[in-house]
Amino acid sequence: MGDFHGEGLSSLRHVCNGDVKAAIITLSTQVPQPISPPPVDHEKPFTLAVKDNIATAGLPTQCASRILSAHPSPFEATIVKQLRARGASVVGKTNMDEFGMGSHSVNSTHGPVRNPLSNDLSAGGSSGGSAVAVRVGDADLALGTDTGGSIRLPAAYTGIVGYKPSYGMLSRFGVVPYANSLDTVGLLAKKVQPMQSLIFDTGLSKEHDPNDPTSLSPSTRKRCEQAMPASLPDFPRITVGIPHEYNIAELDPIIRESWEVAISLLEEQGVRVVPVSLPSTKEALCAYYVLAPAEASSNLAKYDGVRYGVRNEGPDAVGETLYTETRGAGFGEEVKRRILLGTYSLSSEAIDNYFIQAQKVRRLIQRDFDRVFKLENPLHEPVQFDLSDMAETTDLEDKQGPVQVDFILCPTAPTFPPKLSEVKNQSSVDTYMNDVFTVPASLAGLPAVSIPSKTSDKDLPSGLQLIGQYWDDKRLLAMAEKLEALVAP
Amino acid sequence: MGRVPVGELSRYLLGGRLSTNGCLTAFRRTPRSRLVGPAPPNLRPLRTFHASKEQPEPTHQQLQTPPAVPLRKKLKDEAKQARKQGKKKSNADSQTVEGWELTVGIEIHAQLNTPRKLFSSATTSFNDDPNSHVALFDVAMPGSQPILQTGTLIPALRAALSLNCNIQPVSRFDRKHYFWWDQPSGYQITQYYQPFAKNGHITLLARDGIAPEDGKSVTIGIKQVQMEQDTAKTLAHNDNTHWLDFNRVGAPLIEIITEPELHHPRTAAVLVRKIQLLLSTVDACVSGMETGGLRADVNVSVRRTDNPSQTLGTRTEIKNLSTIKAVEDAIIAERDRQIQELDAGRHISSETRGWSIGSTETRRLRGKEGEVDYRYMPDPDIAPLVIGSDLIAHLKQSLPVTPDTELDKLDSYFGLTPKDALSLINIDNGARVEYFYRVLYSVQDMIAADDLDGEGADVKTYAALVGNWTLHELGRLTTSKAGPHGTVDLTFTPDGDCAQVPDAELSQLLYHLYRKHITGKVAKELLMALYLGELEDGVRSAIDTHDLWFKEYSLAEYEALADEVLEGEDKVLQEFATSAKYPQGKLMFLLGKMMRAGQTERIDPANAEKVMRTRIESLRPSAV
Repeated sequence: MGDFHGEGLSSLRHVCNGDVKAAIITLSTQVPQPISPPPVDHEKPFTLAVKDNIATAGLPTQCASRILSAHPSPFEATIVKQLRARGASVVGKTNMDEFGMGSHSVNSTHGPVRNPLSNDLSAGGSSGGSAVAVRVGDADLALGTDTGGSIRLPAAYTGIVGYKPSYGMLSRFGVVPYANSLDTVGLLAKKVQPMQSLIFDTGLSKEHDPNDPTSLSPSTRKRCEQAMPASLPDFPRITVGIPHEYNIAELDPIIRESWEVAISLLEEQGVRVVPVSLPSTKEALCAYYVLAPAEASSNLAKYDGVRYGVRNEGPDAVGETLYTETRGAGFGEEVKRRILLGTYSLSSEAIDNYFIQAQKVRRLIQRDFDRVFKLENPLHEPVQFDLSDMAETTDLEDKQGPVQVDFILCPTAPTFPPKLSEVKNQSSVDTYMNDVFTVPASLAGLPAVSIPSKTSDKDLPSGLQLIGQYWDDKRLLAMAEKLEALVAP
Repeated sequence: MGRVPVGELSRYLLGGRLSTNGCLTAFRRTPRSRLVGPAPPNLRPLRTFHASKEQPEPTHQQLQTPPAVPLRKKLKDEAKQARKQGKKKSNADSQTVEGWELTVGIEIHAQLNTPRKLFSSATTSFNDDPNSHVALFDVAMPGSQPILQTGTLIPALRAALSLNCNIQPVSRFDRKHYFWWDQPSGYQITQYYQPFAKNGHITLLARDGIAPEDGKSVTIGIKQVQMEQDTAKTLAHNDNTHWLDFNRVGAPLIEIITEPELHHPRTAAVLVRKIQLLLSTVDACVSGMETGGLRADVNVSVRRTDNPSQTLGTRTEIKNLSTIKAVEDAIIAERDRQIQELDAGRHISSETRGWSIGSTETRRLRGKEGEVDYRYMPDPDIAPLVIGSDLIAHLKQSLPVTPDTELDKLDSYFGLTPKDALSLINIDNGARVEYFYRVLYSVQDMIAADDLDGEGADVKTYAALVGNWTLHELGRLTTSKAGPHGTVDLTFTPDGDCAQVPDAELSQLLYHLYRKHITGKVAKELLMALYLGELEDGVRSAIDTHDLWFKEYSLAEYEALADEVLEGEDKVLQEFATSAKYPQGKLMFLLGKMMRAGQTERIDPANAEKVMRTRIESLRPSAV
C-alpha cells in the first residue's frame, strides 16, 4: 500500500485491512482512477487528499460514520472534478469527525486521528485526516470542510496552512452537509502559495456551479470581484485590527505571546496595527452551537437505511419512532448529541428562544465585522453605523468613528493541541471551546486562513488566523503569505 | 374575444419552453369528473327501505289498509320514492342543524402541471415504470442539493392569480420534519413562514350549486397558497414490506388554504369543485380528484347560535378526502358527531380524523398529543424566492378567461341555458367548449358569407342551436339509443378536435339545418351516419348523393297529405268537434301520422302543423 507516512497516524487508512490508525481511510491506489476531464491551462500535477465527506467517484464516501459504511457515492463532487481538471490526482479519502462534528477528529468509526507533531496529541478536527495527510507529505494539498473551524483548527494543531474561502466561492455539490449555511469547502497545504495559485491562477474562484444553489452566480461573482481591490498595497498602507474580545483569560500565554510577536513584526514592517472591537463575539459560540446542530438534525434525518447506507436487521417500525434501531446503531455519540440538541432548539416550544435568537446574533456578528472592515460587504447595502450602537470601549479614530481595517489578526485556537487522553475526558462544552476564535468568521461567511507561527515552545507551533472582508480572499491570501514569511516556524 | 385556449397559452409563455404534454394529455383522456350531487344506488333492498329509521315518512306509515296495487307498480313507486329520499338526504335537509352553526376551512393540495419536479430536473410522470424519473436529490443522496425549477412557478402563479391572491415579492422555503418512508430526506420542503401568495378570495354562485342558505353568492377568503413537495408512492407488497416508487417524490404541489368561512357542507364541496375547475382552466394542475391529482383536508367546528359572541368551537381535521362527495359527506358526519358530543355534555378534542368513502362517520386517527412537532426550519440551501412584478403582470394579462366569465358569456351573449353552459365547460375537461366554439365560428362564417344584405343574424339564434347539438345531440350518439353501433366514445383533444365528429362536418350540417336546407330529422340521421363513419365524402356530398335537400311540399301537397291522414280518423275528428278544451294531444297524434306519411326531407313540422290545424279547424264548431 505504498509509502503513506500518515498510516500510523491515522491520516491514511486502507479500508480493507482494518487498521484504524491511518488518516487516509481509503486509498485510491486500490481503484482505477476515473478519466480526468481535460486539464485547464495551468496544469501542474499534484497529489490531493480528500476529506471523507466529499463525494468521489471510485472511492467510498463514508463521512467516518458507521451509517454510511462503504457508501459508494453515485456521483463526484464538483470541487473534486475541478481539481482533477487542474492536475490533481486523488491519493485517498481522509479520516475526520463523523459528519464533521468534532474538534479533534476522534469521533470516527475508523478511530481517532493522531497528530504527527506528537503521537499523543489531538490533530484537531474535524478535517484532522486532511491536515495530517498534508503535514506528513502524503498529499501536496488536501480538501477539507470548515463549518465552524474544521479546517483552521487542525491546520493550527498540525502546523500547516488551512484556508476557509468566502461562503459560496467553492462548490458544495457533493459535499455531505453538516450545517449548510456554514459549511465551506477549503484547502490545506504546507504553504499559502499553492492554494493561492490554485484558487486564483486557474480561475477556480470564478467558476459558478449550477448544481449548488449556494454557489455564487457568475454575475454576483463579477460584482464582488469588482468591489474588491485587485492587489495588496505596500505594508504601510495596510491596517490590521486586533480584536480585544479575543484576548480571553483562557488564552494560552505562549499563544498570546506568538500573537504579540506577530503584531510587532508587522509593525516593524510599517503595517498599522490597531485594536478593534467585535462586541458580539462573546455570543458567537453559543449561536453557533444552536444553529449548527439545528441544521444538522435536519440534514441527518435522511439517514434511515432505506435507500443507502447501513440498515439494521429487522423492521423499520420497531421502537417508538420509525428507524430508531438503524439510526441508533448507525450514529456515534457526538452526532446523536447534536441531533438531539438541534431537534430541541427547533421544537415549537424552544425555537423562539434558541434558533431565532441565534439567527439574530448571527446578524449582529456580521454587522460587527462590516463595521470594522474598510471595505463594504459586497453582498449588503452599505450600512451607516451609529456610534451609540458601538461598545463604549471602542477607540475612536476621529469624529467619523473608529479606525477601519483591512484584516483582522487573532489566534486560531486558544490553546495548543490537547492530549488525546485529555480529550476523552473533556466535557462536550470544553471541546466546543476550541472553536471560539474560528466560529465568528464562519457565522459571517468570511474568508479566513490559519498559518503556523513559531512559538517559544520549541516543539509546537501556534496558529494565527487572518480574517478578511467577504470575497477579499485574494488579498487575504496575499497577506497570509507575507505574514507566513515573517512568523513561519 | 379574448379567450385564449389553454394549449395556446403554454405555447407562447416562456417561448414555448413549458411542455403541456405528458401529464396533461394523460389526464385529458380520463373520464369526466363526477359533480356533486349524489346518485345513490336505487337498487337498495325494499325491506331496508321500509325499515328505514332515518327517514320516517308518516304518509307511508299510515298505510293501514293497503289498496290493491299491482305489485309491479308498487315496486316501481317504491323505487321512485327511494330515489327521491336518497336525493333529499344529502340535499337541502342536511345543510343546517337548528341551533348550531357549522364552520369549515379547507386545505386543498393540487399537483402542478409542470414538466419537472420542484427541486430537481427529473421529469414528472404518470404511471411510468417505477423509479424511472428520479434525480439524486429526489432520493436525498448525500451531497445532492435542491435546485429550484423556476418553470414550476408559472402554473403556481396562475393558480394563485385565478384565486385573486396577492403574490408576495419575496417568499421562502422551509423544511417540515417527520419520518416516513415516502419522504426520503426526513423532511418536506414547503412554505410555512412566508408563502408565495396570500389574501385571495373565490366567489361561489347559486348556479355553482351552493347550499340555498348561502343565497345567490358567497365569497370565501383564501388565506394563502404555498408550494411544496409531493411524497413518494408506497406500494404495499406484503404485510411486512412496502415497495417505494420515487417517481412522484419531489413533484410540485400547491396547497391552498381557505379562511374558515364556510358554513354549509354543500358549499364546501362546491368550493372544492370550483377550485378544481379554476385550476384546470388556468392550466395550473395536472388533474382532478378522480385521478388523485387533488386532495382536500377539512377543518370542522360547530358552535351554538344562541350566543353570537361565542368564539369558534374546537376544531377537528379530516385528512385526505379524495372525492368532492366525500368532502360534503364527511363534513356532515363530523358536524353531526360534534353536535352529538356537545349535546351529551362532552368536549370536542382537537384531533385528526379520517374518512372512508361510503362511510357514515369519521374515525379518529390521532389526537393532539400524537401530533409530531414538525420543527419548521428555513431551508438553508434555498435562496428566498423573488418574484418580479413584470412576471406577475404578464401572467395576469395572459390568464385564461375564468369559468364564471365564460359562463356569463355563454349564458347572456350566446343564449345558452345556464345549465347547458355549465355542462359545456365542465365536460371533457374544457375540450367540449373548445369544440363548441370551433363549430360556432364556422357556422357564423357560413352565415355571414351568404348574408349579403348584411342585416346580420342574431347570434343567439344559431348559438343556441350549436350549443344544443354539441352538447345533447352529440351526447345522444353514445347512449344506448344509438344501438350496438354507439360503442365508440367521442374523444376530444384539448384544442377541441373531435376524431369521430369533426367540427367542420358538424358546422356544415348545422349551417344547412339553420338555413332550413335540411330538416331536423335528416340532420340527426346524418349526424349518426357521420359518427358511425358512413359518410365517406362528408355531409355536403351525402346530402347531394341521397338528395336530402329540403324541398318543401307545396300548400296543395300538404293539404293532400293532411286529407290522406285524416281519412278513417272520424272518431278522432269527432273530439275536435265536441271537446270543450282544444284536444292538443289529438292534434299531435294526427301530426305525427302526417310526418310519417310524408317524405321526411320535404316536411317542415311547423308548416305541417299549420296546415293540419287549419284543416281540422274547419271541422270544429267555432268557439263561442
